Amino acid sequence: MENMEYIDDYFKGSPTDLQKQQFERRIINDNVFAEEVAFYISANRVVKEQLLMDKKQRFREIYEQHKVVPITKQPVKKIWRYMVAASVIAAVVLSTWFLLGENTSPQQLADRYIQQNFQTLSVTMGSKDSLQYILNLVNSGKLSEALTRLETLAQIDPSNKNATKYAGIVSLRLNQYDKALTYFSMLASDTSLYSNHGKFYEAVTLLKRNKTGDVEEAKKKLQEVVENEQEGKEEAIKWLKKLD
Amino acid sequence: MTFDNPTIISADEELIRSLQQNNAFKRKAEEELFNRHAYFIKEGMSKYSLPQEEAFDAYSDTILQSIDNITRGLFEKRSSLKTYLFRIFSNKCVDLIRKKTTIKGSVHQTSSISDMLLMIADSAKTVIQQLVEKTDLDILKNKMHELSESCRQLLAMFADGYNDKEIAITMEYKTPEVVKTSRLRCLDKLRQLYINKKD
Repeated sequence: MENMEYIDDYFKGSPTDLQKQQFERRIINDNVFAEEVAFYISANRVVKEQLLMDKKQRFREIYEQHKVVPITKQPVKKIWRYMVAASVIAAVVLSTWFLLGENTSPQQLADRYIQQNFQTLSVTMGSKDSLQYILNLVNSGKLSEALTRLETLAQIDPSNKNATKYAGIVSLRLNQYDKALTYFSMLASDTSLYSNHGKFYEAVTLLKRNKTGDVEEAKKKLQEVVENEQEGKEEAIKWLKKLD
Repeated sequence: MTFDNPTIISADEELIRSLQQNNAFKRKAEEELFNRHAYFIKEGMSKYSLPQEEAFDAYSDTILQSIDNITRGLFEKRSSLKTYLFRIFSNKCVDLIRKKTTIKGSVHQTSSISDMLLMIADSAKTVIQQLVEKTDLDILKNKMHELSESCRQLLAMFADGYNDKEIAITMEYKTPEVVKTSRLRCLDKLRQLYINKKD
């Protein structure tokens, strides 16, 4: 440990000529010391290589998130099949809309959204990131443990907005609405994100909580989502119609 | 791809400053640098006829090399950041075409080893070089994963150019001295793991 500190100080600082000579003499005359110097250099190399690989993986995830899948042209002959299928689906959706839509309560809207979008959180294959480990916890139902880890992660690395987002989602699933609103509000205020569901998730949480004034507040948030063309806009338009 | 959304850091100067400051915003600045010129990947595909995967590799290696250069003050601002990046990117694309040695996940070689060796005079340097070459890097990599997460993070931040004071602030340690002691303990533990496995 003493040698390691000496080696560390040497490489971190700006050694004088005398210090350099002393250091080099020890390398030549002391095999154990020379091995420690070599280990220090090798360890730094391995750590740095791992660091660069992690950064590259992070870039890959960002790139994958923003990649637009090219639309392949369908042969004209097959289009009619899709049109028929689309018509049937549209008919079913419209019937459901007229039969059930108007009776949907704010909480039901939120419940349905949570069920469809927050039940299973997507995990990027092959990633060793601690966030991925936490999302696996969420998907296996260990919500409280996942929330604790997410909160720690968000605290250690405030720039990790995914940690903030998932902390909000897991809080919502645990019915900890105030906490969820805090996280989603932090997310919503971050203007650097390309894809920011913060405001829309705030609205979902308010609808789910459904305390006095919550629905009105949620409507305001949804309106802002629509006006600012934020993530969740399409859902927000539909919900605003239903909530009116 | 659409990478033209609003960003927190708009000018090159601000971005460079953020990359040079070792704090919580560095990660965001790195991502911002990556995103800002991500359209290069498409250019790599069209101009150099590279498959998307190889164009991505060339681009991400470009960004990693640039971050390293900027952090170490080697970017002299003689051109715009975009021009600087594109020059590195073009060279990497051309290298890929020439050599046809695209290894997935490969990263540019770090200069930290040569930097450290430069601090040692020739006679002693040879001794160290020989010992470094004997080191089994695969075992060392595996052993690194046996360290605790906080140890790995400490070592990673140090390798990323953070000094002990900056690590103390970012990871909320009481003092830089505590960081240094913990970091050296981690290094010592890694050495013990490596020696035991090797024996």
